[in-house]
Amino acid sequence: MNIQTESMLTDEEIEIFQEIMNIAFGKSAADLADVIDTHVVLSVPYIRIMHVTALPDYFREHVKDYKNISIVEQKFWGRFKGDALLVFSAGAGKELVSMLQHEEKSGFESDPVDILERETLMEVGNILIGACVGKIAELLKDVITYTPPMIIMEKYSCDAIYDSQYNPDGTAIVLKTDFSFDNGNVSGFLFLVTSQESIRWLKDALRIFIEQYE
Amino acid sequence: MIRKILIVDDSPIARKMLKTCIPKDQGYEFYEAGDGKDGFEKYKDVKPDVTFMDLTMPVMTGYESLEEIIKYDKNAVIIVVTADVQIKAIKKCMKLGAYMVLRKPLKREHIHSALSNARDTLQKAD
Ligand SMILES: [Mg+2]
Repeated sequence: MNIQTESMLTDEEIEIFQEIMNIAFGKSAADLADVIDTHVVLSVPYIRIMHVTALPDYFREHVKDYKNISIVEQKFWGRFKGDALLVFSAGAGKELVSMLQHEEKSGFESDPVDILERETLMEVGNILIGACVGKIAELLKDVITYTPPMIIMEKYSCDAIYDSQYNPDGTAIVLKTDFSFDNGNVSGFLFLVTSQESIRWLKDALRIFIEQYE
Repeated sequence: MIRKILIVDDSPIARKMLKTCIPKDQGYEFYEAGDGKDGFEKYKDVKPDVTFMDLTMPVMTGYESLEEIIKYDKNAVIIVVTADVQIKAIKKCMKLGAYMVLRKPLKREHIHSALSNARDTLQKAD
């Protein structure tokens, strides 16, 4: 991380964005709680600016049981564009399947477990990412389109980060919000990786947002 | 009457945003805290008439802080201001003794009506 990338958002801009992330993730949690009868415990969001190539090391350092995580990925684009990665703890798929089956007994009993897990993770990922990114866009007056969610399961996920398609010269704004469910062993965090292109727009959008309060 | 207002939120920008939503011509005195524990300490020090409390905070969450303050002063008027809009979160706050729960992002009119409700409540209590 160098001074140039650090200074791409000022401290005040980071603070504003953190507050927006906070609101956005609150919306995600509420949307998910509508689908699964759970309470999503939120944490204080935090923002780091780093070089894209530093991402795999960052994951290894900060993610427990790194080799067994699952990742749901969705790309989004508007004037703010990037990649949303929802990182689930090991075993999250199984846990979510059992939580959902508890909710609706009928349904996918005949499906093999791994398909069920994949679909459940994708569904939950889609809800969390869509609500979060959607709320950021709404607050910053942007309109965003998404690709369908893609899942990278367990043992493949660490390679996927290494093989990722990010432009190696790019800068990532890493927005991280931890979450956990109060009645299950599911936890994870959301990452938004965005590029330098979006940062100029973001700076303006953040200024316009905060002007409402001046 | 409302004279002292305590704002507890870990985000300085969120505290600033809240403050700008409060009418300036009422002569309120403002006090601020950056986490739930500091909020509880300031509450005991300042004895604010109204406290605005965030939920997601480091050191001590807003839930715990709310609980401590109500234990200390069961008549405390605590308005929870949160981005956590899950029904369960709101119910939990009310159960712990919150006066009301407001959602972020804040709107001036919500803050105004919350303060005028609080004023009425405090007047009746006198
Ligand atoms: Mg907070």
